[in-house]
Amino acid sequence: MHVTQNAAELCSLLVDEFHGELPSRIYSTLLMRGKSSIQQLCQYTLMTPRQLRHGLAVLHQFNLLFNQVEDNGMTLYEANPDHTYNLVRAGRILEMVETSFGPAGKDVMQSLFTSGQTRISDLVTAYQGKSGRANGLSKQFDDEDDEDNKANGMNGAPSQSKKLEGPVKSTAELNSILCRLVEAELIDVVHRRTFISPEGILKAVDKEVTDKFFPNGVKGGKGKIEHKQHIGEALRSIRGESKSLKRKLEQNGPAAKRRKLFANGISSNGFSNGVHDDEVDPALDAKQVVRINYEKCLVDLRNRRLVQFVTELIGDITAYVYGVLLHLLTKRIPRCRLDATMDLDQDGQETDQQGPVFVTTAELLDQLKTSIDLSQGLGKTSAQDIATKAAEKISEHPPKPKLWIEETEVDGEASEDESDDDNESDTGYDADYKPAVNGTRVKFADGVAPKEQRLDRTGQLRQHLLLLSNSAQGFVRHCGHDEWTVDFAPLMKVLREAELDSTIERTSGRDGMRLVRILRDKGKLDEKALHSIALMRKPDVQKKMTEMLKAGFVHVQEVPRDNKADVKKSIFLWFCDTDMSFKKITDNCYRAMVRCIQTLEVLRQNEQEVLMLTRRTDVKGREKDVMREEYYERYARFQDNERKLFAQVMRLDDLVALLRDF
Amino acid sequence: MADDEAAKVDATDKVDANDEADKGDKVKLLKDMLYEAVCQHGSDSRLFTQKDLVDLGVVPANDPILLLSLIQGLTDDKLLVASTGPTGICWRWRNREEAKKYTSLPNDETAMVYSVIDEAGADGIWNRTIKNRLNMHEAVVKNCIKYLETKGYIASMKNVEHPNKKMYIKANLAPSERATGGPWFTDGELDTAFIEELKRLVFEYIKTKSAYLGSQGGHRGDAASNVRAPKRGIIKGSGDSNGTRGNKRAATDMSMDEGANGKEASPVVAPRQRGGKVFLPLPAGYKKYPTVAEIARFINIEGITNNTTLSVPDVQQLVDVLYYDGLIEPVRVGARRGYRVTRPTRQSTVSFQPGMGLEVDMLGPEPRGNGLTEVPCGRCPVFELCGEGGPVSPSNCVYFVKWLDLEDAVEGAAKPTLIAAP
Repeated sequence: MHVTQNAAELCSLLVDEFHGELPSRIYSTLLMRGKSSIQQLCQYTLMTPRQLRHGLAVLHQFNLLFNQVEDNGMTLYEANPDHTYNLVRAGRILEMVETSFGPAGKDVMQSLFTSGQTRISDLVTAYQGKSGRANGLSKQFDDEDDEDNKANGMNGAPSQSKKLEGPVKSTAELNSILCRLVEAELIDVVHRRTFISPEGILKAVDKEVTDKFFPNGVKGGKGKIEHKQHIGEALRSIRGESKSLKRKLEQNGPAAKRRKLFANGISSNGFSNGVHDDEVDPALDAKQVVRINYEKCLVDLRNRRLVQFVTELIGDITAYVYGVLLHLLTKRIPRCRLDATMDLDQDGQETDQQGPVFVTTAELLDQLKTSIDLSQGLGKTSAQDIATKAAEKISEHPPKPKLWIEETEVDGEASEDESDDDNESDTGYDADYKPAVNGTRVKFADGVAPKEQRLDRTGQLRQHLLLLSNSAQGFVRHCGHDEWTVDFAPLMKVLREAELDSTIERTSGRDGMRLVRILRDKGKLDEKALHSIALMRKPDVQKKMTEMLKAGFVHVQEVPRDNKADVKKSIFLWFCDTDMSFKKITDNCYRAMVRCIQTLEVLRQNEQEVLMLTRRTDVKGREKDVMREEYYERYARFQDNERKLFAQVMRLDDLVALLRDF
Repeated sequence: MADDEAAKVDATDKVDANDEADKGDKVKLLKDMLYEAVCQHGSDSRLFTQKDLVDLGVVPANDPILLLSLIQGLTDDKLLVASTGPTGICWRWRNREEAKKYTSLPNDETAMVYSVIDEAGADGIWNRTIKNRLNMHEAVVKNCIKYLETKGYIASMKNVEHPNKKMYIKANLAPSERATGGPWFTDGELDTAFIEELKRLVFEYIKTKSAYLGSQGGHRGDAASNVRAPKRGIIKGSGDSNGTRGNKRAATDMSMDEGANGKEASPVVAPRQRGGKVFLPLPAGYKKYPTVAEIARFINIEGITNNTTLSVPDVQQLVDVLYYDGLIEPVRVGARRGYRVTRPTRQSTVSFQPGMGLEVDMLGPEPRGNGLTEVPCGRCPVFELCGEGGPVSPSNCVYFVKWLDLEDAVEGAAKPTLIAAP
């Protein structure tokens, strides 16, 4: 994360919002001053070492810090802005976990959010404690888990929910939820090097590798490549350490997992959120410390975002199909963006040990909900209105031997090669093409009608997938016969640009967007060319361009005609630097988030007296009954605004996530 | 040489008056014959070489001296114009009316100015270019132009490429397409209303041809609600704000629309809520997405461009603008390059008729919003200035107060009140 002034301000505010003022002050000092020891922090913040240690402990607990022990035994602390920023996403991630793993999963995840990185045994105890508090209210459940037989049945009532029955009902269920989350890589293990900054790790690994393999120094081009490979390998193994728990689970019970999938049926995201067969889940090592793995969470959030885009651009049903496809596809994708030293070889190709990633139509079909009617959502015809049917044609991609090729166009010639495998009517493109059309309805070409009606579910599914693969954005690539994959890098680029376009359209109007898109398409243009392509009046173009220049969406370059560089004779070329615009928008987002949180703070100040009241123990929890109507109204309104502002911060984060992280 | 010859002819003329009349008649006759023959053999832009003129067979015995005198005569009458062709000197003819104009001009300067303008043809010529080419004083050129203008021989014109230059053109010529800017310009001004109307028409055409107008079945409703249940949470923010925006628009536009076209007005506002028709994407590989040629044909058949015929490149330009507006996207199926509408399910299902006017405020669906454009900061004019402790800060932000609907609350909070515990 590139920390700008606004980003730093935002991070400090977030720490303040979630963990209070003391950690926030230390955190902002660390951001401002860089790596510091406790002594230095004492100087900078004018706090006592005792206070500092308290604050640092909190920050450490939530993985907001890196530390590094120097040779002389002194510990240096450093802010971890990436993780701090992720605090904004807490709500989003919880919501996502809830849809995939049910309310119980959400509850566990929430506990991890509120308590930071936690030892599993502590988590279990916490849940027992909660149930202990609620014991008086309800009867106990017998726990079938023989491993932990002193555990009480969890009958719910986590403090934040007022329901009698909490989402997590037993320690066994807690265990199984944790297993699911670990398998999905949404949580991973904290290990020794979690707290060392990436630069620190790289430095250490570099030293190790050089000492071990190149005691005489790295020499020559070949040596350099080898050196790089060794480093990449070592870094990968360090990164793999946090997945130790998952590996253990996979060793124990892939078969059990599969059995379960058959037994319980699959919810929309492929995970059963009902009750599990508890005995098949191995008990997790109670000493392990777990934390939330934001990298994988981001992958899932990206999937959701893509589904949203498809809903917007194509339609609901297709988006649903796409969501299932993405879910299957990203099971094996641990992070959104590949790391240059770890995941790419010197040609920029991915060093993927797992082989090509794709999903077949059959796999996909197995995961679709039976309630979904795949014949809907496409411009197809239902049986009764044959007259308005549209003639259709499937054009297929040739099987691609290699992945990660940017290929979004529908290639006519290639599809003809394959025309006979499942689409007999595919006899060249213009063979049965009739330009005659009736009004706005396209006449139905004979012979295709009965065939289309008889399309089975696989055929319907294929229709949706083909639509996705033929989209201008290239949502899906048909990479082999009935094999589908997604090229995330080019796709996300397209979507980032789409997001930029809609931002421009909203702020500078459609004319502005038109001009920017022209510039992106054609490169640098002078004004005359610009207004003739855009079919806009010259003064309008000038006005709009100046406006957008101010907003940072377009830039201008002066090219002198001769050595004298006479301004009157110079050519002025407009261009748009998309990456620069992304950075600008991202920074504006940080800033807008900061303003939202500050506004919230202002509201708190204004309503201080009311809020003080709600903090009283005799008022807390039953505000409506105890408070005077007038004050309760003010309190309710404040809460409403608080919700609104946080929701807005989250919406801003959507944009940041897309532009920066996906 | 021609002058010598002419002088010689003159000299002989003086010698014998009788002969002279006879010969004069003969020359005049031959002159007319030659002129007629030249007119017969090509348009006024064709260049005739000496050989071409000889081959016409008008001049008896192909006498070059006689031919020369004939050409000289015609040139003096401004009926032939000499110019340099690829093989040396050539001539082209000029019609009699034009020639008369030349001969009626009072002096040589005016004739020269007129000839320069004449040569420029339909592109017109800038008055400074005239001055430079003739190397005359500005005042002289000005006088000549004034004279020619009052006579109605030339007219000033506007060139869209150089709107600030004063250009002249022969009065009986229409400015060329390059000068007028093609079909998109009217009187040297970009005709935005025309373009806008045409864009709507083309967009409507592409929309109806490239998406399927279907109804949302009952089944689908069930399935959709099942599927979309989790997602609704995410897009709630945008949904809500879109909703409010939509309503706002409805409030202002409803009355206007209802006056204009009655029942059709409301579906514009909420095409989806009506639950009826919705545009659906066509299956992959659909091969009748309209191409530019088809669109051009449609426009010409429709005949809304009264006196101008739009060529395929013109229509391509228009379609490109729609593409840059993000309303349509190119799609290639085989060798066919068609266009289809983007975001079909979000399109309004009310069809646009030419002449409906610009009441329907915007083409296509509402642009998508995002977090930044919704928060007041995203459109704040003083965003850069804003900061704690500055003249504008979150604590005195009027936009946030308005956005959160807090106007009265702020006033309320300003009053000092004592709160007793209840």
